[in-house]
Amino acid sequence: MSGHSNWPEWIYVGVVIVLLAYVGAEAWNVERLVDRAPAEAEVIKVIGQQWFWTFEHADGTKEVGELHIKKGHAYKFEITTKDVNHAFNIHDYVVLQDAVAGRINEVWFAPDKAGEFPIQCREYCGLLHYNMRGTLIVEE
Amino acid sequence: MDKTIALMAVLTILVVLPTIQLVFAAGTDAHEYVNRKVEIWNLFFKMMTIAFTVGAVVSGTLIWLVWRFRESNPNAKPTKYEGTDW
Ligand SMILES: [Cu+2]
Repeated sequence: MSGHSNWPEWIYVGVVIVLLAYVGAEAWNVERLVDRAPAEAEVIKVIGQQWFWTFEHADGTKEVGELHIKKGHAYKFEITTKDVNHAFNIHDYVVLQDAVAGRINEVWFAPDKAGEFPIQCREYCGLLHYNMRGTLIVEE
Repeated sequence: MDKTIALMAVLTILVVLPTIQLVFAAGTDAHEYVNRKVEIWNLFFKMMTIAFTVGAVVSGTLIWLVWRFRESNPNAKPTKYEGTDW
């Protein structure tokens, strides 16, 4: 290099490498936190079908269109479908997972607020998709 | 050599220290479940901050470059190659 310095380029390269490493580590960590269900999480089976949701608690009780759970407990949803693909979504708790035929997909969360929250199908699944709703009822 | 040391120091501060912090944070189990909304939004916020900052620096550099080295710039000096056959 004839008489000109290229240290700004090296600083730029270093900063980009550091930022990418940071972004990667941060995303990996958040994914780990969000994906890994705690061992004590209670399993709730979620079955989607045109055009409603069925929930089965660990003790075998079933609910249709409504899901009653307790505040401060962890729950793991095992989500599947009886017909076409759906997607299980509790918007207020940022829970979203596809319901895919022949598969059981998992997602977990722990509600920290009591109240009623809408559940909605998020994968277009036919004529009444828009009305494939449910209610999450979080009790104290 | 000095530059390498400086780069390594920066890397250490930005990568190793947060990792240590993370490990210690994992030890203090206050038994609070993660809040998906908070975690996901924070990640999104950090990434957007980085993306927009890097985007602003890169596009700013390009805009400055095009402006500074335009032909009509009074400060523009012909390079030593101009008007020659190389
Ligand atoms: Cu559906």
